[in-house]
Amino acid sequence: MKLAVFLSDLRRTEDTYERLKAEKLGVILVENGIYHAVMKEGGKDSPVLSKAGATFYALSDDLETRGFTAANVNPKVKVVSYGDIVDLVMNEYEKTAWL
Amino acid sequence: MAELTLGVFPSLVGSMSLDFSFKLAEAAMAKGHKVNFWLSGNAVMMAKKGQKAFKDYSHVEKRMKELISKGMEITVCEACAEARGYHKEDVPEGMKRASMDWYLAKTVKTDRLLHIGGE
Repeated sequence: MKLAVFLSDLRRTEDTYERLKAEKLGVILVENGIYHAVMKEGGKDSPVLSKAGATFYALSDDLETRGFTAANVNPKVKVVSYGDIVDLVMNEYEKTAWL
Repeated sequence: MAELTLGVFPSLVGSMSLDFSFKLAEAAMAKGHKVNFWLSGNAVMMAKKGQKAFKDYSHVEKRMKELISKGMEITVCEACAEARGYHKEDVPEGMKRASMDWYLAKTVKTDRLLHIGGE
């Protein structure tokens, strides 16, 4: 299964998140979920970004709303637009989940 | 053109996910996709007519009508609506109410489904 997971919050969701398994996994950071792409915890990346084999995306509108630019984003994360998310959901992944 | 169905659960007032739902729908339609909205839980209240547009509150009636005019289908969970005192006569023109069966059928038929959670 090719799964796109939307993370919309900074709060810890590891219990559910860590159990997710997919042949191809995309993690799309939106709303307050974008903080996982720009913040460090104790000098380390957010644990969300340690998901093995996943591809990470962050929504540009939600970054800019919170005062961040692409320059602030962890290099593991690709900045995407709403149109890019549509293409990911319609073309790259088969199923979606919202956390 | 493919079909995207969004199960939308956020509240009308005070939810960021509501704005996300609309912007994603607009982007999908701009790319030629058919988009369906299933409004459930507290999200049903965004499709109740007669709402006053306060400056700092979400008011999406105009936005929804624009999307409907472009082909988006908006269906409200009738049980969720009735539970909130929102009756058949309160449904704005162009929108409809249906039982959960409508959403279940869409989950099978639609090309892609995104269930956008509430609070």
